[in-house]
Amino acid sequence: MQPEGKRQVQDHSLDRSLDIVSLISIGQHPQSGRVRRAEQDGRAVELGMNLAEKHTVLHAGDPLQQALRSYAGMGLSEVQVLDLGPRADAVPALVEYLQDHRPDIVLTGVRAESGESSGMVPYLLAEKLNWPVVARVADIVSVENGVAELLLALPRGQRRALKVPLPFVATIDNAAPEARQSAYGPGRRAQVESLDAVIEDDQTRSDWVEAKAKPRPKRLKVVKAKTAAERFKAATAKPQGESGKVLKDMPAAEQAREIFDLLLEEKVIS
Amino acid sequence: MVLDWLPSVLIAATLLLAVVGAVRRISLWRAGQPDQVDLIAGLMAMPKRYLHDLHDVVERDKYMSKTHAATGGGFVLSIALILLVHLAGIDSQILAWALLFALALMFVGAIFVLKRRMDPPSRISKGAWMRLPKSLLAFSSAFIILTLPAAGILPEGTGGWVLTLILSAVILLGLGEMLFGMTWGGPMKHAFAGALHLAFHRRQERFGGGRSTGLKPVDLTQNGQTLDILGVSKPKDFKWNQLLGFDACVQCGKCEAMCPAFAAGQPLNPKKLIQDMVVGLAGGTDAKYAGSPYPGKDVGNAKGGPDQIITNGLVDPETLWSCTTCRACVEECPMMIEHVDAIVDMRRFLTMEKGDTPNKGAEVLDNIIATDNPNGYSPASRVNWAADQNLPLMSDVKQADVLFWVSDGAFDMRSQRILRAFVKLMKAANVDVAILGDEELDSGDVARRLGDDAAFQSLAKRNLEILSQYSFKTIVTTDPHAYHCLRNEYGDFGSDALEGVDVLHHTTFLNQLVQSGALKLEAFSGGTVTYHDPCYLGRYNGEYEAPRELLRSLGIEVAEMERSGFRSRCCGGGGGAPITDIPGERRIADMRMEDVNSTGAELVAVGCQQCTAMLEGVVEPRPEVKDIAEILVDQLIEEVH
Amino acid sequence: MSDVLRRDPRAEWIARNRLHPLHGTVSVGDEAEVRGPSGLLRKNPHKVGFIGPNGIKRIDRLKGNGNTVAMGRRSSGPQEVLLPLHSVEQPDFYIVVVPDMVGGRLTSQDKDILGQAHKLARGIEGGNEQQGAVVAVCFGESKEEGFDTAGVDRLILLDSEEYQGFCPEQQLAALVQIEASYQPKHWLFPDSVNGGADLGARLAARLGERPAVQAWQVDHETTVSRGASGSIDISRTTPHILMLVEECADPIDETRHEAQPLALESIPRAIAQLQDQGQVAVDPNAIPLAEAEFILSAGNGIHNWDQFHDTATALGATEGASRVAVDDGFMPRFRQVGATGTWVTARVYLAVGISGAIQHMQGIGQCDKVIAINTDAGCDMVKRAALSAIGDSEEILAELLKLAQEHRAKQSEEGDQHAA
Repeated sequence: MQPEGKRQVQDHSLDRSLDIVSLISIGQHPQSGRVRRAEQDGRAVELGMNLAEKHTVLHAGDPLQQALRSYAGMGLSEVQVLDLGPRADAVPALVEYLQDHRPDIVLTGVRAESGESSGMVPYLLAEKLNWPVVARVADIVSVENGVAELLLALPRGQRRALKVPLPFVATIDNAAPEARQSAYGPGRRAQVESLDAVIEDDQTRSDWVEAKAKPRPKRLKVVKAKTAAERFKAATAKPQGESGKVLKDMPAAEQAREIFDLLLEEKVIS
Repeated sequence: MVLDWLPSVLIAATLLLAVVGAVRRISLWRAGQPDQVDLIAGLMAMPKRYLHDLHDVVERDKYMSKTHAATGGGFVLSIALILLVHLAGIDSQILAWALLFALALMFVGAIFVLKRRMDPPSRISKGAWMRLPKSLLAFSSAFIILTLPAAGILPEGTGGWVLTLILSAVILLGLGEMLFGMTWGGPMKHAFAGALHLAFHRRQERFGGGRSTGLKPVDLTQNGQTLDILGVSKPKDFKWNQLLGFDACVQCGKCEAMCPAFAAGQPLNPKKLIQDMVVGLAGGTDAKYAGSPYPGKDVGNAKGGPDQIITNGLVDPETLWSCTTCRACVEECPMMIEHVDAIVDMRRFLTMEKGDTPNKGAEVLDNIIATDNPNGYSPASRVNWAADQNLPLMSDVKQADVLFWVSDGAFDMRSQRILRAFVKLMKAANVDVAILGDEELDSGDVARRLGDDAAFQSLAKRNLEILSQYSFKTIVTTDPHAYHCLRNEYGDFGSDALEGVDVLHHTTFLNQLVQSGALKLEAFSGGTVTYHDPCYLGRYNGEYEAPRELLRSLGIEVAEMERSGFRSRCCGGGGGAPITDIPGERRIADMRMEDVNSTGAELVAVGCQQCTAMLEGVVEPRPEVKDIAEILVDQLIEEVH
Repeated sequence: MSDVLRRDPRAEWIARNRLHPLHGTVSVGDEAEVRGPSGLLRKNPHKVGFIGPNGIKRIDRLKGNGNTVAMGRRSSGPQEVLLPLHSVEQPDFYIVVVPDMVGGRLTSQDKDILGQAHKLARGIEGGNEQQGAVVAVCFGESKEEGFDTAGVDRLILLDSEEYQGFCPEQQLAALVQIEASYQPKHWLFPDSVNGGADLGARLAARLGERPAVQAWQVDHETTVSRGASGSIDISRTTPHILMLVEECADPIDETRHEAQPLALESIPRAIAQLQDQGQVAVDPNAIPLAEAEFILSAGNGIHNWDQFHDTATALGATEGASRVAVDDGFMPRFRQVGATGTWVTARVYLAVGISGAIQHMQGIGQCDKVIAINTDAGCDMVKRAALSAIGDSEEILAELLKLAQEHRAKQSEEGDQHAA
């Protein structure tokens, strides 16, 4: 969808000896709930593949999970998995791994699509490793002399430029270049290497009650009327959106004015 | 006579060279992958296939069929007799006269070939093919003169050694083309490869009108640790009989003339593609190719070899993605070449190995894998369209006479109108029908044509699994693509879910209802109506008649388009073409609508939701587009109970 | 206090008494009767009567007395309602809210969260005899004037130079300092892309707290938050740090608060590793179609494409297109809106020359306000639209372009004045 975005990475001189670890999680399709490559983690892997020669893709969880194959299908020769049980906390295992391997950049999605999806993992890693953490990265423009130049995604497609010294943790926003297509053959052929890891059970979580999401009520426009007349007006007011206003047989200038006023009212023009 | 022995030696020498060439050519084909073909049975069936299936296709062009019968028949006959008379030296006047007759026949045929070549249509290749009529004439005339003494018309030794020498030169020319060229890559190669292709065709069942898929499931099992490269990446990844098929091409360009993508200016020309495959299997470049190029691409830059990746320099992936898999080329090819299957084989490599499906391809495939429908809708909303239809679900009733396969039209608001119309008709005819509801999955058609056979197989197996839980006699669908999958492609998965089940398209089914009197319809009083044959209903499954009969039963005289029936032009919606969306100069749907307009029709009857969507996508004003079910439902006489 | 009618008996009496020396001052002004040039008494029917308090015209049967009634209606017209003040003198505990303050003002989500903070405070107060104060911590320059009505009891405004621009590390240092000085019961952050979620996560990681993220139903005991990309609800004891979604609670609207500045010891200067290079100008057209908030979409009815692009630029809209416009090669494929193109979520969708094929309508199903410009008043797009202009699209776009340019010019003028 964003052909402009894809090129940027190649345009800039990048330090090729860069060592990047992309952390991946198991995604969940919003409609079917089926496991898949997580949207943001996929983008993190894409960015990692474009940036570094030495690129490790790391997952903390079940090495037999099929969704790992859809990451591998992007053209990875192997996926490293810290073999953890379903109730284990990923952070201690990841911290241990990162302390041993000391990469330059750790990339991951903003929030996981399954589990608690609190988005805390990158912050906790950064805290434990004492590295800076950058949230919602749209692109890594260059890495020179140990300093990376990033673009952060702001709401409504805006960007902020930022410089960060290596090493750092970055979470990848949906505005980052889309992950490449996952191909079946390479995905099946890739090695999934299972690594032993510290297993600490997530105790806090076992006290929680998890249930299927209840639909949230939409906030109604409550009219806090003080007088009878106001209450009457609120009760009888015509609900909006029944049918639109049609401007017919009017000079173009007036029609344009009406449209423009609506745009102002909707605050899409500032 | 001094040089009496010369012609015989020449014949023997070229024959020897031809045999060497044949062995070499065969070894090129054998570089391909093994395929199970009964060689003996194939060879035995070959003459019948030639006279019946191949000839039927050639017969569509009367001029060419007569010319070919004379030239080809004369040649085969005369070469046999030449061997007897001039090589074996059998001195028989009868044989000599027979030879003279055969050569004369060939000569006459060659004259017509020459005449055809005077002002050739753009679809046929020039180059080496332009010298073919001359070679034919040289061969036949030289042997006529050479045979005259043997027939006793001229005395032995007439003309002396000068004539013999000249004659020998001409014979060399003719023999060179006809025998040497046949196995060393000249135009006559088509006779040699073509005959063998008929015998060892990859889709044997197509002879005699059988319907089948040419797409065999990709082997996804892991042998030991490694999985073979999926799909066709290099020419030698094709089955050997596919390579043989490419070699059979006569470059007549009938495919090119029918190809909707070529006409739309997209970078595909089926003939050039097959010729590029020949370049690939033999190694070299396409510099000698003398036909129309891929629109918008120059000839001469393609090079390849049996061991080189096709999409690296031989064929642009865009060419492969332009195909709508409409099979117009396959239907028209006199040599029975299977272009579409070859294209899908190569797409499999691009999708399953390279992960390079263009435009929305990747997204659609991801959706199919994650939600079992191409647009990523919630699988739990598949049955929403039928909320007001009061249709029993198979999971509740377990059995029904008819299972209505709804297909992905369930998610599309336009297609839902077709579905509702069809349900109403079935209800009016009191059909015991049920649907699978949310249990139904995408048929896998799009995934398969886009080259993702893994996704297709997963869908097919899961669909069969669900189908096997219920009992029904007939399965009906309004979607010809799903129809083709259910009828012809699901058979490869060893399930008995569809055993003994009639798989029908809704037009066939409705026609049965109308003919049996279960549906009462009043005459149609609108304007002129034409009918657009969906490719997957017509060419893929041979159903041309039922929709027309249905329209006739409404009193509609179908104003046929020039391209209709087996020559119907694709709407542009097949094979994932709207998804991969390769740019051209025109849109296929627009061209099809021009075909419709030329009949003056006010309404196009269609039997496919994809065609409906594509044709309705043409900018108004244009004739109305309606599915046959929608037309019927408007004419339904509802009985009051 | 405001709209209550008050009679002024003295003024009424003067009005009735034409011989009163002050009579002229109370009854002149809106005289319904005047002497005409010929000396005849003339009635001005427009001036007969007055507008009653309920907005209906009343005929004045008091012969001018109505004027006095109208005059007696003091403080008519809009007048600020003075809400009751909620004051917290000696807070026993604090609940800290860190609003996003986009553009220096509280966002609606910020206000919801302030409302949530009070709900929490009340919940805690209910259990014991304590009184809590809601503290807002605001970074950077503030333009907000309504801290009091939004429910801020105490305000920590950090607007010194080190808090300007993007500085999450410095902000974190301040929050840590606040935690140390005041030990707030809860920290509430907006779970937003405007920085709230980031800052909340930083604080949680620093304090070693496990926050509730995407919380939407919170009281002093339990918190319900969304997990697994919104597909599950997690219920747990309300944690120390919460990141709350929009509309988690109702904003404060019935009380006024003190918004007293709260003193804070000096905050250590954090070592900034993230160096802000400022915001980058982004072409609205580079925003992915699916994310765009305002789309100007072109269909078959567009003939002047340069004008269309100019208008999109002037309005700051992302360009979209119908399938036909794409097929005809006027727009690239990734601009296509609809079931077969991109499903858009724009808040405002301005469709020019698109009659609305069913696939297109499916693709804009989630758009809030649709505006149509079309020649055909009967087309589906007009039926869907909240506002439609029927006419020549080129003319209307030309006018729209003019308006947008005037608007921009005015804005930049104002901007200059501000700068000066």
